[in-house]
Amino acid sequence: MEGTFFMVLAACALVPAWLAVRGANLIHAALWLGASLLATAAVYAMLGASFLAGVQVLVYVGGVITLMIFGVMMTRRHEGLVALAESRHQGRAAAIAVTLFAVIAQAINATDGLDAPLSAPVSANGSALGRALVVDHVLAFEALSLLLLAAIVGAVVIARRRDPPDAREAEVPS
Amino acid sequence: MNALAHGASYGALIILTLLTTVAMGVWFERKFAGRMQSRLGPTMVGPVGLLQSVADVVKLLNKEDIIPRDADRGLFTLAPVLAALLSLGAAAVVPFSSTVVAADLDIGVIWVVALGGLTVIATFAAGWSSNNKFALLGAMRGIAQSVSYGVPLVLSVLVPVILAGTMSLSGIVAWQTRHHWFALWPVIPGLPALGLFFLAMLAESNRIPFDIPEAESELVAGVTTEYTGAKFVLFYMAEYVHTLVGSAVASVLFLGGWDGPIAPGLHWMVAKTLALFVAVYWVRWSLLRYRSDQLMALCWRRLTPLGVGLVLLASAWALFAPGGPA
Repeated sequence: MEGTFFMVLAACALVPAWLAVRGANLIHAALWLGASLLATAAVYAMLGASFLAGVQVLVYVGGVITLMIFGVMMTRRHEGLVALAESRHQGRAAAIAVTLFAVIAQAINATDGLDAPLSAPVSANGSALGRALVVDHVLAFEALSLLLLAAIVGAVVIARRRDPPDAREAEVPS
Repeated sequence: MNALAHGASYGALIILTLLTTVAMGVWFERKFAGRMQSRLGPTMVGPVGLLQSVADVVKLLNKEDIIPRDADRGLFTLAPVLAALLSLGAAAVVPFSSTVVAADLDIGVIWVVALGGLTVIATFAAGWSSNNKFALLGAMRGIAQSVSYGVPLVLSVLVPVILAGTMSLSGIVAWQTRHHWFALWPVIPGLPALGLFFLAMLAESNRIPFDIPEAESELVAGVTTEYTGAKFVLFYMAEYVHTLVGSAVASVLFLGGWDGPIAPGLHWMVAKTLALFVAVYWVRWSLLRYRSDQLMALCWRRLTPLGVGLVLLASAWALFAPGGPA
């Protein structure tokens, strides 16, 4: 029963993921990615990590996908419906993906006790989660925050208007 | 399997009740608006116009279902279904009494907020796939608005979560039954949080004064410009269900849910929900629409700092006086 459920969910995560990567239509790709992330949240819920599942929907499907869509709408000239995805970095992206897969697979392989049945559901208890985040793993947590901050600053720098200030004034009809 | 059957039967019951309430709500709103404007509202169909909504739905379902030639057909059809699904889905975790609840999740609060956040995707899919300038403008406004107002919404929801120390909706009601309703007793921060939630809910469900994505006087009909017939009904229904479920969630979080003297819990819950629902329409027919930049200024300069302050206050309260001074 559980195995069947898992297989169905895994298919629901993998097929949209493939469509997101291979599709030419950028908007469709973003929405397929959302579908894939939603199925991943369902897998989390199945494993008893209901809090993680909820946050996955809230942050990734609700937040990140919205940001992506907003990015496409703001940066592309939309002549008609199709915003085409084009990339000159497909080879490099594939190499990174394969490496990442190998690392994660290795990490999972190296973990003990995977054969043991899931005894108790992973706690959705707020205080335990909070303690784990800001006491036990505080270094990783802060490192992540710093990384995100750097990413935001980087995004602002990349997106900043490059033309000189008088060019902006020239746009206003006198 | 028992939980599955329970969820399915209660879910069906709750969905049916919600849809009936929406039909009656539309009739009530038209009567209410009529009285506010010194006219009668619907009078012709059925006694005091009671069957007006039924007639409207039959009329709308009979209309031609038009898909524009250059529309993105798949997305265009998916959008209204998604909108209806998400607004009804949020009702799954709302406890209408201690027993009437489809699925009593321990992360009920996150479920409600997450599904509310996802409605943005339905708005976007509708606006983008229509291939219409007005629809796209409406969608962009809608997304900007929902993303911004999501912040004060989450902050206001955090207040009862922190005070009660649980993310389960029925857990929050149970806490209020044992101690006091959040809107009544810890007036600061409970009452302002209810106000904040109410405003953010108006913005998330695109109600006047925040109905900028639709703005019929400037954007034709915003995201729903190209929609006709059954698909339009789905959007219309989703908006009302969103408001109704939002009112129910506000009653649970701040007004003690099914808690109340004398009458059975379900009656209290229904009365509180409908009172808030009516308040939404009271506001809708009294106020004017905000301008887009005013809306953003209100959210980021006023409501978000207020929300952060309330969360800090609630944390201090939970730390130093758990359970309140009682």
